[in-house]
Amino acid sequence: MFGKAVSYDLLWDSAACEAVHESQRWIVVAMQKYGHELVTMLWRILGNEQDVCDAYQTVFLRLAHLEGGQQPRWIKAYLFRTAGNTAISILRQRLAERKTLSGMAQADKEPQAMEGDFDARYLAESLRRHVAQLPDHLRSVIMLRDLGELSYREVARIMGISSGTARVYRCKAVQLLAIWMNKKEEE
Amino acid sequence: MRLLTHREKIDSCESRSAPGRCGRIRRRLLDSASHRLGPEAPWVQRHVASCPRCQKRLAALTKVDLALSAIKSQPHQLGLLMQANSAAVKMLNHPLRREAQERRLDEAKPEPCLMERCLGHRYAVANVAACVAILFLTKAGIFSSFDKARTEGQEVMKNYYTSQVGEDLAGEVFES
Repeated sequence: MFGKAVSYDLLWDSAACEAVHESQRWIVVAMQKYGHELVTMLWRILGNEQDVCDAYQTVFLRLAHLEGGQQPRWIKAYLFRTAGNTAISILRQRLAERKTLSGMAQADKEPQAMEGDFDARYLAESLRRHVAQLPDHLRSVIMLRDLGELSYREVARIMGISSGTARVYRCKAVQLLAIWMNKKEEE
Repeated sequence: MRLLTHREKIDSCESRSAPGRCGRIRRRLLDSASHRLGPEAPWVQRHVASCPRCQKRLAALTKVDLALSAIKSQPHQLGLLMQANSAAVKMLNHPLRREAQERRLDEAKPEPCLMERCLGHRYAVANVAACVAILFLTKAGIFSSFDKARTEGQEVMKNYYTSQVGEDLAGEVFES
């Protein structure tokens, strides 16, 4: 799903990495290891390339300045949790901006989107909007499991819950999303 | 408690013997269960066909699945990873926290401008200015006006006495 046919080495600026300070090499290694999955998850959450770059940068900056440059115990967990939280903050900000600045334009667009029920873009935007409204624990599971494509085991480990609880949370999240998306349409 | 024990047994079994076998069996069980109990099961389909409430619920759930698929199928630019990586690496190479100005900014204290500093004494300055103005007005205007009024008053009184009692007597009264 992550397009493994692409050679990631081609997407890596080795000269820039060598310039990184010795004490921060582990961050570059983490970037090489998890960068693609992170970018994919951020892209799916945000749907905007500039926002993806901003969130990605924020995640690694936070990692670099975590408790005086110390490595977290489980880097992948830290990266995915931070990425999820950062992305949601940005998404909420964008939604609020869109709501306030272009209320008129949105009002014009809504009926068009309603007409084409299976308009993929509209559906994706609607889902993003509703995911941002989910309670923290449900949102984290949806983001990590469905948008980050991590296994339930990894999701459970990242969140500090059991795999069964992660499954239950996902189920609840999907039910809630279904209700919200359906309600919006009925209105 | 019983479930937990069973779970522990499964975990220990997985770690002891063939690691992929338990996973395979579990997946098969899940597939089988979803086939028999999931939304594609014939008895579920039969019920859904005749129940409008379930139809609605199923449609809503399908819509979420569809939306998730739509999000997953939207591709990003191939260069996005490189773009994000280079921006992050650049930021790591050039962290603002290590800039020379950072220490100065850290230690910097706010220095109010002359105007803002004077603003604190504005009431005292206004009071002094008011006193000076009063003094000046008193000195220049009011005192001289008093003198002028007194002189003019004396002149009027002298004229009155002159007309009433004569110039000699008035002269005596006002010159003394």
